[in-house]
Amino acid sequence: MSIETIISQFVGGLSVSMLLFLVASGLTLIFGVAKVFNFAHGSFYLLGAYFSYQAIALFNNFWAGVIAATIGAGLIGMVLEICFIRKIRGRSEEGAFQILLTYAFILIIDDAVKFIWGPEYKTIQKPPSLAGTLEIGTVSLPKYNLFIIVLGIVIVIVAWYLLSRTKTGKIIQAASTDSQMVGLLGVNVSMVMSLVFGVATAMGGLAGAMAAPLRTVTSGSGIEVIIESLIVVVIGGLGNFWGALLGAVLIGEVNAFGVLWLPQWASLLSFVVMIVVLIFKPKGLLSNETTGKKI
Amino acid sequence: MMKRYKDLVPWIIYFLVFGGMLFVRGGGHYVHLAMQIIILGLFATSFNVLFGKTGLLSFGQALFYGLGAYITGMAAKSFGADYFIWALLAVPLVAIIVSILLGALSLRLSDVYFTMLTLAFAQLAWGITIKWYGFTRGDDGIQAIPKPALLTGNVNYYLFSFVVVTACIFFLWRLDRSPFGSVLEGIRQNSLRVTFTGMSVFRHQLLAYVISSCFTAIAGGLYAGIDGSIHPDMFYWTMSGSIILMTILGGMSGFFGPIIGVTIFVLLEDMVGRSTEYWSFVIGIIMLIMVMIFPHGIIGITRFFGKFLARKGGQVENP
Amino acid sequence: MNRKFVAILSALLVCLTYSVSFAAETIKIGALYPMSGRGGLYGQDSEAAIKIAVEEVNARGLPGGRKLEVKVIDDQSKPAYAVTVAKRYITEDKVNFLLGVVSSAVALAVTEVSKEYKTIFVGTDHGATDLTANAFQKYYFRVNNNTYQSMMAGAMYLKEMGGNKKIAFIGPDYAYGRDQLAELKYGFKKLGVKADFVGEFWPKLYEPDYTSYITAIIAAKPDILVSGFWGGDTVAFIKQAKAYGLFSKMKYAHFDAGGNYELFSALGDDCPEGLILGSKHHNNWPDTKENKQFVDKFHKATGRYPSYAAQGAYVGILFIAEAVKKVGNAENTEALVKAMEGMKLKMPEDPPGFTSYIDPATHQMVQAESIGITEKNSKYPPAKYMLGKFKDYPADKITPDQEYIDLLKKTKK
Repeated sequence: MSIETIISQFVGGLSVSMLLFLVASGLTLIFGVAKVFNFAHGSFYLLGAYFSYQAIALFNNFWAGVIAATIGAGLIGMVLEICFIRKIRGRSEEGAFQILLTYAFILIIDDAVKFIWGPEYKTIQKPPSLAGTLEIGTVSLPKYNLFIIVLGIVIVIVAWYLLSRTKTGKIIQAASTDSQMVGLLGVNVSMVMSLVFGVATAMGGLAGAMAAPLRTVTSGSGIEVIIESLIVVVIGGLGNFWGALLGAVLIGEVNAFGVLWLPQWASLLSFVVMIVVLIFKPKGLLSNETTGKKI
Repeated sequence: MMKRYKDLVPWIIYFLVFGGMLFVRGGGHYVHLAMQIIILGLFATSFNVLFGKTGLLSFGQALFYGLGAYITGMAAKSFGADYFIWALLAVPLVAIIVSILLGALSLRLSDVYFTMLTLAFAQLAWGITIKWYGFTRGDDGIQAIPKPALLTGNVNYYLFSFVVVTACIFFLWRLDRSPFGSVLEGIRQNSLRVTFTGMSVFRHQLLAYVISSCFTAIAGGLYAGIDGSIHPDMFYWTMSGSIILMTILGGMSGFFGPIIGVTIFVLLEDMVGRSTEYWSFVIGIIMLIMVMIFPHGIIGITRFFGKFLARKGGQVENP
Repeated sequence: MNRKFVAILSALLVCLTYSVSFAAETIKIGALYPMSGRGGLYGQDSEAAIKIAVEEVNARGLPGGRKLEVKVIDDQSKPAYAVTVAKRYITEDKVNFLLGVVSSAVALAVTEVSKEYKTIFVGTDHGATDLTANAFQKYYFRVNNNTYQSMMAGAMYLKEMGGNKKIAFIGPDYAYGRDQLAELKYGFKKLGVKADFVGEFWPKLYEPDYTSYITAIIAAKPDILVSGFWGGDTVAFIKQAKAYGLFSKMKYAHFDAGGNYELFSALGDDCPEGLILGSKHHNNWPDTKENKQFVDKFHKATGRYPSYAAQGAYVGILFIAEAVKKVGNAENTEALVKAMEGMKLKMPEDPPGFTSYIDPATHQMVQAESIGITEKNSKYPPAKYMLGKFKDYPADKITPDQEYIDLLKKTKK
């Protein structure tokens, strides 16, 4: 096992991680801030991919697709939040109903997508500006993957800055911790939550559009993405962007080296990692608590 | 006195519907569906001990369902038809051991972390079952699982399952109405208070988890005999998810809610699957309607009708 | 609240009581295919091909003036659900034949139903050799090729390339992937091919990101990468691997599902040149009248070119019709089984001068395989590449031999 192999596995793992992070970032926002168990996050990823496909078919421009995906997924997310999720807030067993409701979304969106666009796999090309490969020594890195790495880092920094350094961000954080108080202070909490939900689904759509050139665009891909992103979010800690990044890198690299050193068991490693993390650090890697219990 | 009779009504309906299936002639398909319904009904009812009663959302009960099915299936396949029954008896024992271990680990966590850990364990079990081809036949599943001659045949096996399931459900029903059940209910509503009464929340939750998993595994074992065919997707998270859906559909606040939910779901899937390939869409819409308008599930609807009728009759309902 | 409930309930009841049922006096075939999710395209293509075949058969006429009627239900790729539907087909709809499936796991479960109820089950798109070997039961017939046939042809192709090769294998981590590698190795042993396996890679089925596998494969420096994916995984892998320059560093061979048309239509311009691919059916080979006619008919009916699932389903219907013609009715199951065992049937994929036939011992359709190399070809839009420079492998050379069947029976029991 040469040093070059290790480096190239590491870099490859990093690009997997960033894509994972892109998908998980929206989920951690919804979970941690809007406090919604959005099972259907994968469906917004899916919608993002299909909106992007449609926009590219109309305008022949990759970036038009990305914009369409982000805005489209965001709008639909907000509509769903306002029409449905908002109406079940405050119910007893709210969590259970969120699961049920968002699962219903998955079923409906998956079939709607199949109905509108058909069951064949769709492909999206990378934009010509990002189509090449960078060769650094013996390590190859496609430019597109590098772009995703950069994009992921930008998102973390922007999200962290917006949430903790701006007034809006602080309002959002406050609203998630104590919505009653914030409401009494004159903030329209419902609107804030809807906005946050919309931003989170928009991020899901963005992830879908960015991932689409690399993967297959098909109606099953929504469900497949959920489990992986849930793992990353939980490992990192709900609502914690840096945690999600750390979790994504951990899972990406564990998989990358698992393929090399434990090829027979590589596919089970993500679950093992999550189990280990949850047993020792249930609130996520970056928290201090060890039981996750309120008492 | 009134209360006692009212409580027996669901049992009467249960016996009429499912006992009645024993006498249906020429309805091979419907007896087959009924078998699936009562076995899944046992799964959902035992799941609800954890969820509706104790307030613990486990997304990994499918682990025990698959465990029961594979123990029974592999034993009968490898050692012969007679071992089907022996395996079925061994299933609860294995389930208890495994659930004590997994429960002790998982119940240290609360809320969504508990849910995720149960999910992780179930997915790990799924992954191992798929990969360990030499032992479990992986994605091929296990086919042609033999049964003892007494249990072969639609009606015979239905009778057997019906007896076993009814016994299990009766046990769970008594548990539900026992002091133990009240403690579980209390834990769901306010676990802090329960701690203040001096009782161990953890021990009660663990016992609930073990009991729930044990009966889930029995359901899995019974399942292996329906078609003699089992598959690793019995462990998959979508299996756990379906049970959660069916429970909520029927109503998780009533003991018979899960069974009602299972019945409706299985019948729906049968009917809808015949006529359209957009069955996901149809079921999704129904779920949506249930959540938005009938959140207490079918049980909620029957209670609503019950109150409605009582009011009409001019009688005052007991609070 | 009350009215709302009643309205919804009645609407539901109306929807649910509407279900297509069979007409009387027809020959009924119950088909099971995935119509949604990952395998959905194969189900849709199969359904379209079935329609075409049924029209042809009914136009030519069947004994007693009866018509063929096929119902297609989505099996959701779930064995348990498929078994319920298959049993319902038999007990409620009283079908004469079962047809279909794409997933081998589903097929293994449904063949048990076929055996229990003594109803003929014609397989059209699943490749697990088991069904015509260790899981054989006499009411099962398969018209598409199994993975052994594809991999044996592949082994012959690789042998013809000559020299001592370093080979790496990547495939989905379940029976389908593992069987292909086992069969390739068996083929090498049988043909006396010396090969050095420098790596075996097993991503999970539907793995979205192959990057770690790609970099590890490149590091292992094989001469040839043999792959065993199907469907969307193939497309994803090729797209991702191309970005890492994998195809310029080694040859890529994919014998069972690699040359499926859906791959070319999905990749478009992104398809690398020089990939060595085989398929259950090629739209552009052999260049016979029968094949062209089949492909054109499908294109006229659906507006797209067929994936290989279509040919399987099409032949499946013709196969059943031929058997019914020979026996004179669709009820005498034992006579139908005998007729099918001796069946010779021209398939669109048959090379000129050859007619595929059923091996009476295994009920597998013995058929030829062709392997080609990707090259620019825009005659089948939206694909920009198709296969060319085909090499044909005769049917009798690639059929599983008794030794292999015995091996399967021993290892898989």
